[in-house]
Amino acid sequence: MLLARVEGNLTATRKHPSFEGWRLVICQPIGAAGEPEGAPQIAIDAHGAGMHQRVIISSDGAATRRAVGDEKSPARWMVVAVVDEVAPGTTALQDSIA
Amino acid sequence: MRLGTVIGRVTLSKAEPALTGARWLVVSPFTREHFQQGTEQPAGLSKDPSLVVYDNLGAGVGNTIGFVEGREAAQPFDQPTPIDAISAAMVDYIFYNPKS
Repeated sequence: MLLARVEGNLTATRKHPSFEGWRLVICQPIGAAGEPEGAPQIAIDAHGAGMHQRVIISSDGAATRRAVGDEKSPARWMVVAVVDEVAPGTTALQDSIA
Repeated sequence: MRLGTVIGRVTLSKAEPALTGARWLVVSPFTREHFQQGTEQPAGLSKDPSLVVYDNLGAGVGNTIGFVEGREAAQPFDQPTPIDAISAAMVDYIFYNPKS
């Protein structure tokens, strides 16, 4: 699982049928201080994560297939949680207390 | 799933029996510095290495696609298939607003 920041979303008409009805969000993996680490990943989102909100994304394909209800889905990444605070006293949009 | 621009196609002469008849695309993946906004594609290629992606959506050169990497790429097939990247979505529009 990775800590990530939601930096956008996308629309796609032609896609694998298992993605039908799912929100696709652009998740930028980040470090503890909020610095970007690596290329953005697209994840399915059942929690309605907001723009620039911190989330936890999981690459567990088996769990994602169960979530979309299709054993033949290529889906891999999904938003499993919306982060409340990374360090005590911070908010979901804040990088650190300072 | 990552996003990328289709920059070419691949045709095979000899291949594993499981791969015959497949359509292959060469895809240049988007990095954070090189990401599409809206429907306008970024100029040039990204720094990340391009890869060959199995395609069953019918994407063409110039299209933006979402592709899945890893074991999950072989999941849509009935038979064990030796692929590790598959196109999963043809992207119409991207809303991307990175936090600076």
